[in-house]
Amino acid sequence: MSQQPLVEMIDIEKHFGGIRAVEHVSIDLYPGEVVGLLGHNGAGKSCLMRILAGAMIPSSGEIRVGGTPVRFGTPIDARDHGIETIYQTLALADHLDAPANLFLGRELRTRFGNLDEARMLRAAREVLARLNPNFRNLRDPVSSLSGGQRQVIAIARAIYFDTKVLIMDEPTAALGPSETAMVADLIRKLRADGIGIFLVSHDMHDVFELCDRVIVMNKGRIVGAHRIDEVTKDDVLSLIVKGELPADWSARNLEAAQ
Amino acid sequence: MIGRDQMHRASALLTLMLLILGFAMASPAFFSVNNGLTILLQTSVIGLLGIGLTLVIITGGIDLSVGSVLALSGVVSAMSVKAGLPVMPAMCVGIIAGAACGAFNGVVITRLRIPPFVATLGMMLIARGVALQLTGAAPISQLGEGFGWLGNGALFRMVEMQPNGFPRVIFPGVPYPAILLLVVAIAATYLLRRRRIGRHLYATGSNEEAARLSGVKVDWTKMYAYTMSGALAGLAGNVLMSRLVTAQPSEGVMYELDAIAAAVIGGASLSGGVGTISGTMIGAFIIGILRNGLNMAGVSAFIQQIVIGLVVIGAVWIDQVRNRR
Ligand SMILES: Nc1ncnc2c1ncn2[C@@H]1O[C@H](COP(=O)(O)OP(=O)(O)OP(=O)(O)O)[C@@H](O)[C@H]1O
Ligand SMILES: [Mg+2]
Repeated sequence: MSQQPLVEMIDIEKHFGGIRAVEHVSIDLYPGEVVGLLGHNGAGKSCLMRILAGAMIPSSGEIRVGGTPVRFGTPIDARDHGIETIYQTLALADHLDAPANLFLGRELRTRFGNLDEARMLRAAREVLARLNPNFRNLRDPVSSLSGGQRQVIAIARAIYFDTKVLIMDEPTAALGPSETAMVADLIRKLRADGIGIFLVSHDMHDVFELCDRVIVMNKGRIVGAHRIDEVTKDDVLSLIVKGELPADWSARNLEAAQ
Repeated sequence: MIGRDQMHRASALLTLMLLILGFAMASPAFFSVNNGLTILLQTSVIGLLGIGLTLVIITGGIDLSVGSVLALSGVVSAMSVKAGLPVMPAMCVGIIAGAACGAFNGVVITRLRIPPFVATLGMMLIARGVALQLTGAAPISQLGEGFGWLGNGALFRMVEMQPNGFPRVIFPGVPYPAILLLVVAIAATYLLRRRRIGRHLYATGSNEEAARLSGVKVDWTKMYAYTMSGALAGLAGNVLMSRLVTAQPSEGVMYELDAIAAAVIGGASLSGGVGTISGTMIGAFIIGILRNGLNMAGVSAFIQQIVIGLVVIGAVWIDQVRNRR
């Protein structure tokens, strides 16, 4: 991993009036890497990811894509740089069906500029079948689908296009065990394709299963950033809860290194 | 989306049929060709306003200004004629004035972040005030025969001169306002179903934040809806004033309520994301026929208001019940 990072966020800050949601945060992400982002509720994980997704404008700080400084005014800007996001809220338009949501904002059109419903339906059927072979209700409004099916649509939307960086904000929160396993497989596959992934999660098992690095946030700050093999679940829990590593951590690691 | 919409439209259509049946039995004159034409003319104005409101309501907004904008547009057209412009360009100026009012609504809503209800309520007063101020509250008449063409003309009208010198209408033809309504309704349906802007109107009303995150230009989409609503109010104003061959600055008071009622009866949801042009057309005819039929049956204007008020509440209530299931 000596290449150029896919993205870097440098000294990012975000304030809402008096609330400091993100404070002096710097992170980066390399190709084929899964970085877990952890922290208790309100730690600032979603804010940080929304800034990277172009959905929120930082109060200060710099974002670089492939080494070049960029400025994201809208989610479209971030997407144009290959940064796709699965939002915690899923961001689906309830009254529209799956294909319409999949292509929302990037509709396929015919030569005459009409919506190309047939092509969008075909593409949606294909990508959704890959994620969930049982997905049938393609023409129903997504409000009538289950939480898991909705999540599958949100995931499909983020991987269908030419993705370089994938932000997953709690992508398995509404999924059952088999769908969660499917998402885990998907993450491994995307990583193998060289895509960089930020995975926001509360699920310690998933994090240790999938991530190469973990970053722990607390009250808007990074309190720990480690390779996954240098920490245990208890270490990470301690970072999340107390904002620091257990007292014996450095001793243990020195031992392991020897 | 499809199932529920179709259900609602089917029940609205059934209501429409029952209304026609009921009024036809109550008064024989109701079912005459002449009365049919009257209904078509009345409905075309509500229908045009209703189409504009449907676009706005789909985005989750509301436009209370269309009645006043209608009056202002008619006045502007008439003043343009008086200033020497030929009728067609003059009417275009009026429609552009309507579109400008709509665009102003859009700017207030998207830039100043004023809720649509308040923004368009303001425009309701502003447009009416401007119309009254420009005319000194007096109607503008003597606009020439050409000005009445749009509102009073008809396609395929066949008239025969009788020996006594009076013309006799063999076939009254299809009134231009009805044709105009049909054309606009088809265009708006195409827009909503086949064009990207239509998709974005639904997405904006369905979940504005999701639409924004998906890359929909939400503000631009809203601007579009309000500008179209203003332009269609302008068109409706020209139809109405042309029919009277007089520009009435006080015309169109409370028309916005008929138009909103038409959209809601037709299945548009005031919480956004839902609505169709065909539904609104059915709604417009229900309102038009209700007013006309009650008139023919000799029911007073006061009672008419009560009835239409109840019908609107009933339509929204049915929609709510259906949503809750
Ligand atoms: N739009 C906003 N306006 C004001 N405050 C906000 C806004 N968005 C987030 N915040 C605040 O910023 C802080 C960080 O929120 P954020 O959503 O990033 O937390 P999180 O780490 O994602 O938590 P969770 O695990 O619950 O998703 C919180 O205190 C929250 O109240
Ligand atoms: Mg969050």
